[in-house]
Amino acid sequence: MRTRAEARRQRWAILGFAVAILVLSFVVLKSAYYQLVLTQVLLWAVLSLAWNLLSGYSGYFSFGHAAFWGLGAYTVALGMLYFDLTPWISVPFAALVGAVAGAIIGYPTFRLRGHYFALAMLAYPLATLYVFQWLGYQELALPMKREAPLLYMQFEDPRAYVVLALGLVVAALLISLKVENSRFGMALLAIKQNEPAAEAAGINTWRWKMLALMLSGAIAAIAGGLYGVVLLVVTPETVFGMLVSAQALILALFGGVGSLWGPVIGAMLLVPLAEGLNAELGDVLPGIQGVVYGIAIIMIILWAPEGVYWRALDRLSRRSPAPHAPEPAAGTIATPVAANVAPLPRAPAPLGDDLLVLRDVGISFGGLRALDGIDLAIPEGGLYGIIGPNGAGKTTLFNVINGFLAPDPGAITLSGEPITGLRPSQVCRRGVGRTFQVVRAFPRMTVLENVIVGAFVGAPDDAAARQMALAALDRVGLSARSGAIAGGLTTRELRLMELARALVPHPKLMLLDETLAGLAHDDLDGILTVIRQLRADGITVVIIEHTMQAMVKLVDHFTVLDHGRLIASGQPNDVVRDPSVIEAYLGKKWVDRVAVPAK
Amino acid sequence: MAVPFSTVDLLQALSAGLLVGSAYALMCIGLGIIFGSMNVINFAQGDFLMLGMYAAFYLTTGFGVLAFLGPYGGPIVAAFLAGPIVFALGWVLHRFIVARVTGAGVSQIAGAGAYGQIIVTLGISLILQNGGLIVFGSTPVGIRTPLSRQSWEIGDVLLNQARVVSFFFAVALAGGMYLFLSHTRLGKGLRAAADNPQAAIYMGIDVDRAHRIAWSVGVGITAVAGGLVATFQTFQPYVGFDFVIVMYAGVVLGGLGSNFGAFWGGLLIGVVQQMSTLILPYQLQNTAIFVVFLLIIFLRPQGMFGRLSERT
Amino acid sequence: MNRKLTRRSVTAGLALGALASPGLGIGIARAQTKAVKIAMIAPLSGPWARQGQLLRMGSDMAVDDINSQGGIKALGGAKLEIIYADAGDSTEKAKNAAQRLLSDHPDLVGGSGAWLSSFTLAVTEVTERAQLPWLTLSYSDAITNRGFKFVFQTSPTADWQASETLPTAIKLAEAATGKRPKTIGIIQDNTASPVSFGKQLREGGGLDKVGLKPVVDQIFTPPLSDATPLVDKVRSGKPDFLLLLTSAMPDCKLVLEKLDEFKLSKGKVPLVGNGAPFGSPELLKTIGPELLEGLLFSVANWPMKGQEEFIERFKKRTGEPFLTQDGLCGYGDVAILKEALELAGAADKLKVAEAIRTMNLTTGPAAQSFPGPIKFDDKGRRQDVPMIFAQWQKGMPVTVFPTELALAKPFWPSV
Repeated sequence: MRTRAEARRQRWAILGFAVAILVLSFVVLKSAYYQLVLTQVLLWAVLSLAWNLLSGYSGYFSFGHAAFWGLGAYTVALGMLYFDLTPWISVPFAALVGAVAGAIIGYPTFRLRGHYFALAMLAYPLATLYVFQWLGYQELALPMKREAPLLYMQFEDPRAYVVLALGLVVAALLISLKVENSRFGMALLAIKQNEPAAEAAGINTWRWKMLALMLSGAIAAIAGGLYGVVLLVVTPETVFGMLVSAQALILALFGGVGSLWGPVIGAMLLVPLAEGLNAELGDVLPGIQGVVYGIAIIMIILWAPEGVYWRALDRLSRRSPAPHAPEPAAGTIATPVAANVAPLPRAPAPLGDDLLVLRDVGISFGGLRALDGIDLAIPEGGLYGIIGPNGAGKTTLFNVINGFLAPDPGAITLSGEPITGLRPSQVCRRGVGRTFQVVRAFPRMTVLENVIVGAFVGAPDDAAARQMALAALDRVGLSARSGAIAGGLTTRELRLMELARALVPHPKLMLLDETLAGLAHDDLDGILTVIRQLRADGITVVIIEHTMQAMVKLVDHFTVLDHGRLIASGQPNDVVRDPSVIEAYLGKKWVDRVAVPAK
Repeated sequence: MAVPFSTVDLLQALSAGLLVGSAYALMCIGLGIIFGSMNVINFAQGDFLMLGMYAAFYLTTGFGVLAFLGPYGGPIVAAFLAGPIVFALGWVLHRFIVARVTGAGVSQIAGAGAYGQIIVTLGISLILQNGGLIVFGSTPVGIRTPLSRQSWEIGDVLLNQARVVSFFFAVALAGGMYLFLSHTRLGKGLRAAADNPQAAIYMGIDVDRAHRIAWSVGVGITAVAGGLVATFQTFQPYVGFDFVIVMYAGVVLGGLGSNFGAFWGGLLIGVVQQMSTLILPYQLQNTAIFVVFLLIIFLRPQGMFGRLSERT
Repeated sequence: MNRKLTRRSVTAGLALGALASPGLGIGIARAQTKAVKIAMIAPLSGPWARQGQLLRMGSDMAVDDINSQGGIKALGGAKLEIIYADAGDSTEKAKNAAQRLLSDHPDLVGGSGAWLSSFTLAVTEVTERAQLPWLTLSYSDAITNRGFKFVFQTSPTADWQASETLPTAIKLAEAATGKRPKTIGIIQDNTASPVSFGKQLREGGGLDKVGLKPVVDQIFTPPLSDATPLVDKVRSGKPDFLLLLTSAMPDCKLVLEKLDEFKLSKGKVPLVGNGAPFGSPELLKTIGPELLEGLLFSVANWPMKGQEEFIERFKKRTGEPFLTQDGLCGYGDVAILKEALELAGAADKLKVAEAIRTMNLTTGPAAQSFPGPIKFDDKGRRQDVPMIFAQWQKGMPVTVFPTELALAKPFWPSV
């Protein structure tokens, strides 16, 4: 998402930051106390960067990063107490511990989403806290090594700790930067935006999430290990407690979630603020420092709900307009769709062999049979419509075809090859594209960036991905808007963008889920033209819709679902006259008023 | 050490669990209403609990306003009065602070609201705790009532009177909330606003007001729970911490979005906490809660009664 | 004999001093001599704020007393100035407080705190490296097990207290009932001091030495949610007496009330506790005197015979219903530092530390504030300290053992 030049600029910024901190520590700050606070600022920044790596980028909020921090601290403490292990070894080793913990935690927990995930994560450090107390590790003090202090990371000069902590911050920033600019980062972003869509676009979401958690855990743990060395006393509440997890979150949210510098900004603002308040007001009126701190963070977050970084960026960009992605050359702009297009004559479309075949597909949720005995054969090259009342199972059917749900029983083949039970990303690689009812765009990113995020399958590198995304935008007629910020799009444009994203990997089968819902009459025709063009390009399109008028004009073939069963299938004219369809869905009045006269 | 336990021990632990759980259940309902209606994770919930405790304390022992009701009735009435007091405070907080980072208007922007609300509720928590220290002082206090050391006996099983009384009132209040939410117009409006704020607006429901009511009711109910707990437990301004985790575990266990579930979730947490001592070392009581919590989340992510997560 | 006379005369002196200069502040400074600075780090905010407040009451009173009686004589009457820092609610805050104190006041000569043993551990890591002598009332043996030279623990370690508490309790029981207890119930939390205490009993052979069999042995994680399963075990185990090692007052309350509820209180199962929370005014306020009557507890320090005037002065000055360990130790720590300064003859932290290491005080306000002489071994632990027992009698926790220091006679609770 960043250009190479931007990435280079960020690396210089990181270097500059490191130099500034060194100057601060070695030249400006004089007392050991300030060095200690600076060290803490940097260590908390690392924890927050680790948190951001997972939660800021992927949207999977973790309330349990204290688990990694604590494991890191205890690795170092126990290592020194029982094995006389020097922190020079145990601190890096803590990273390994954190990664393994991430894997163990992620394996079961990633089955959850949203708030459930966040709160489940809450449980891990707290459960571990009690276990460590039970094991007898209430208070571990790292032994003072008078004979060989340097061997045990016990420096007399507190600036040594600043340097070590700074090293971790720089490493974490560089890692975050690398992730942001790689497929890893784009995968996480896609997951944040719309995980099912990402999965359907070919991204193995589980693998990327696990990797993110493991990396995040490793970084958090190594920082926790160094924290143990600095504090010299490790207790379960100090390192596994809720406040640690909360701190990781708050610093990132405050500074600017999902940004590279957010956690660092948050740490540099909030940690000194809290400590300063403690120092000045702590013995004056006990408790007042907490009140002031609470008021301060509320006021600032009301001013900048997404974080200081984004707000500052907004402020700056208001003065000078933000540079947009360069518009594509004039020659590639597709002609805008005509406003009023008469329905195409219903010539029988050249139908090829069966592309998608469903045999006796069914699925239950709890006691409810959502789909039952579905037999469907969709030939290549046609425009196929699926309609039915709410709750009939239309989206469920798509989810089954796509691989989000496994049919029981039933078999599905694509071009003769079985695809039952494959992951959605694998189904996508076989050539199936899918749009979703709820279009989720990244409001701050451009249209092109939103679409690139889905351009994974078959793109050998970022440049190719970009080209493919541009081509897809061209196909849906949105090239003119490729540089626009997605937050300002109309519903019609959003739908087209969603279509473009699904089109990027050149699917042979497109599953469109209520693409026309909520569109005004003029917009409707525009999208219909695009969809027809897809068919003309040889893509088989299956579309779920409610708007009968549009569907009747659009499709070659109808299937009607009701209560999970196929109740009618055939030419639109026949289907709309089918008594069972009328009873279940259309209603007599509609038929009398609107139906196209029989041939 | 796993020591074999007798039936009496089992029944005693079970009854202790139910009694403790009833207080948790009521707290969880409060949190559940807020979470279910507003999708807000309120970090300050434990501190509203603390406010309820202090409100009840000052009404009975502190200023002696309800002293005329005696040591049996006074504390219960005080606990219930704590509800409206904290309700009012919650109303003001929502109107001026919380509404700015939550609600229908905010939830449209991808995720932006979620971040703001976490920090705001955390800020409120800090203010309440530390402000509480300044106003109430650091000395732990408790409501004195003879009920806290008397018990009713069923066979060999002893049931602490203060906790039993609290149990009945908690259940009654929970039942009342359930009826309110399912049968009154206001209650149904709250649920509609929770399920689909957009649609609710179109249907003429003032979502902002609905949220304010949900928030205030939620903190008010938790405050009543606090008042009831205050009859048998001592507390100080930072006591909220100890309960926040339990509340969240209970709400998630019961199923986010289901108030009915929050009640059962809280009850289950109490039972697990007390009964785990029969087979596990006492120190691992709370670990047992989390293990059960995780097990249920994995086997049934929507909790016992919750709604399934977002549609694709 | 000698000691009594000396004590009485010093107490009289203190009383005179109190009458002569009622609560004058520290503000009066002599033009020539600079104030000598000491520090106190205590939790002033957060869940342990109450304890910090009590410590501060004691130390403030000590500073006022010292300054109103002419300051530090060896330094030409220099005034003592105490600087406070809030340890807050986390070890990080405690450590920061210590580092901040040292950076802001490099001329500190000594300090005390930080009440909670993990805070004390963190603080002393800083003060040791700065070679600042530090006093603490924490019981945990980890504090003086690190080979540090500048840390001085005024309380006997939990380990030692364990080996003293039971034999004395048994002696009392035998003397009162004629029977020697054979079984014991132990209920404790898992914070550092109870854990060391318990370790001495179980692994250290403490129970075997006194011939006690534990029929109830439960460790819980504070805060306690409900004491029912714990006390239920006491009901079925029927120990001859119950040892309670709970370090937080709310937990004490739950256990004591639950015992009453299960009809095991008021002498049915004699109770022996350990730790200052058992004697706190808050406990009296929330439980009431009847339930506490006869509760015996061992503690590092408690108001003793000879301190009667002092106690009254404290109560009047602070409004507290009675004096407890924390206030007394807060006072005593400052007194020790003052004595060290007198012995050292210079406002130099190294000399003060050396003075503490070599001191052997049996008279004076410092010695008066603690049981036994003020004498530290090379680990920084006090030697020859008698185990203090206090007992609730008619709504007041009074020292009952050892007899020379007692303000009342002990009795073994019976039905």
